[in-house]
Amino acid sequence: MILLKNVTKEYRLGKTIVHALRGIDLDIGKGEFVSICGPSGSGKSTLLNLIGCLDIPTSGTVHIMDTNIISLQDADLARLRNRTIGFIFQMFNLIPVLNAYENVEYPLILQGLPKQEKRERVLRIIEEVGLSDFIKHRPDELSGGQRQRVAIARALVTNPKLVLADEPTANLDAKTGIEILELMKKMNEKDKTTFIFSTHDPKVEQYANKTYTLSDGSIT
Amino acid sequence: MKTLFLLALRNLFRNKRRTAITFMAIISGMTGIVVFGGFVQFTYQGLRESTIRTQLGHIQIYKKGYSDKGVAEPSKYLIENPEKVIKTLFQIPNITMITSRLTFSGLISTGEKTLIFKGIGVDIAQEGEMSDFETIVAGEPLEPEMTDGGVVGVELMKGLGAKVGDHLTVMTTTMDGVINALDFKVVGVAQTGAQDYDSVFVKLPINLVRKLLDTQFTEKIIVLFNDTAMVEKAISFIASITKQGGLEYRLWSDLAFFYHKVVGLYDGIFSVIQVIIGVIVLLSIANTMTMSVFERVKEIGTLRAMGTTKGRIMKLFIIEGLLIGLIGGIIGIVVGIVTAYTINISGGISISPPPGMSRGYTALILIVPEILLQSFLSIVLVSTLSSLYPAYKASQLKVVEALQHI
Repeated sequence: MILLKNVTKEYRLGKTIVHALRGIDLDIGKGEFVSICGPSGSGKSTLLNLIGCLDIPTSGTVHIMDTNIISLQDADLARLRNRTIGFIFQMFNLIPVLNAYENVEYPLILQGLPKQEKRERVLRIIEEVGLSDFIKHRPDELSGGQRQRVAIARALVTNPKLVLADEPTANLDAKTGIEILELMKKMNEKDKTTFIFSTHDPKVEQYANKTYTLSDGSIT
Repeated sequence: MKTLFLLALRNLFRNKRRTAITFMAIISGMTGIVVFGGFVQFTYQGLRESTIRTQLGHIQIYKKGYSDKGVAEPSKYLIENPEKVIKTLFQIPNITMITSRLTFSGLISTGEKTLIFKGIGVDIAQEGEMSDFETIVAGEPLEPEMTDGGVVGVELMKGLGAKVGDHLTVMTTTMDGVINALDFKVVGVAQTGAQDYDSVFVKLPINLVRKLLDTQFTEKIIVLFNDTAMVEKAISFIASITKQGGLEYRLWSDLAFFYHKVVGLYDGIFSVIQVIIGVIVLLSIANTMTMSVFERVKEIGTLRAMGTTKGRIMKLFIIEGLLIGLIGGIIGIVVGIVTAYTINISGGISISPPPGMSRGYTALILIVPEILLQSFLSIVLVSTLSSLYPAYKASQLKVVEALQHI
């Protein structure tokens, strides 16, 4: 489902070239619950960005659902992200002017679904993440754990094949972090959605059924 | 699109203080345009009506050829049967006055002092409406029974050193070119507001002037309607009458050269003011939008990550600009109207005498729907345009860099 071959990613930082990824080969199948570990600056986020079609590699190929993302235009990449991939961010990244319901609904609006279908799907996923009583609440009226649940609901409402979570528990206390991981695991097992999350917390790694460790841009 | 409008509207009020300042810039600009535009329109209306009602009338009718050659050979271009023409003209609805006039010029004398003058022979019985804008500053206005009386301009009276009740002699040439003179009694001194005119004009009964010029004809017939807007409706009938009678006509707008110059000047000033206000509003909104983009970089990255296209991001910010213009424009119109009413209720604005005029006036602010609509549309356009560049910049942000923005 996800196939990376000899992927490199370089950034120019002033006059210096930073080698964020060096010859990454990766093959992740449907329904896997994968963690990408490594210290800060090891290239975890860069790798997730490439898998999430948010960026393109300097060299090598990235295939998502048999599509080589390098050949896609910006609008096609946006469409692929909307229909295939869900994102969960470390800082939750909810839209502050929208309430919980509207935040979850947003990706479906981009798909142009009928009103009734949108409503059913949004309410169902909000119920699954346990926030039915908070649908009218804006992000600043929710706790960190509740915000991350909204983010998970938003990532899953489109029934994506793949969910990418960049350090999803880093801004949560230990108990809430475990609740979030268990929720993600439940969703993974229920719908066979592939989850890839980055972390540098060893306790989080144990939830994954496969772990890749990155060091200085390479998988070790 | 509904979601974009909802997002844009809510984003607009995220930073309430900044939005309030932006709205204040728009409202101030709109109020300035509405009030100045209303003042300009009041000036146009006042000048137009005073020009029509003191000098020109709405329509002037002459013998055919008068406009081209009447000045050189006035005796050849007189209307021979004015009563018949006037009777026909009275069939037109909404006419308040039709009068005959004869103009002439020559020398006016007290016996000791002689000056040049510009005379006008009027049909006193019909002329009442036309005299509304003349102020009698001494004596009394001409009445039909004052067959040898006359009204003289205030500046001319000063020049002659005459007073009400004096007898003055006017001397001119008859239609046949013979020098003729007659005496009249000054019954009143008038001020029209135009200093140059006040220093030369003499108004006499038309029959007295006919005697002086040795003619029974009329130089021009002046038609006045109860409303300037009625002129358009009467043109075809007037054209038909004049064509059949060997006559020609001119509209007030063909004769009001000073009025058109003033309109041209004020229109130019108004345009410059509109452009200045437009630029200030444009910069103000562009600044607000740019700051808004800068503050929401991470959010833009999130929207893009979820599959929002560049075009949709651009639309979002353009709609924000549009909404700023729409909301600010509506409030601006209301504040502009309230300001105009307040000025009018408190007695208007006292304006000093313009160049060449002897009297100032009190200006009111007219509420002109065209100006309200035009300024509203301009503000909406300007605010939408000012959001284009920030919107473009927002749409071009790289997703990864936007998501990493702190």
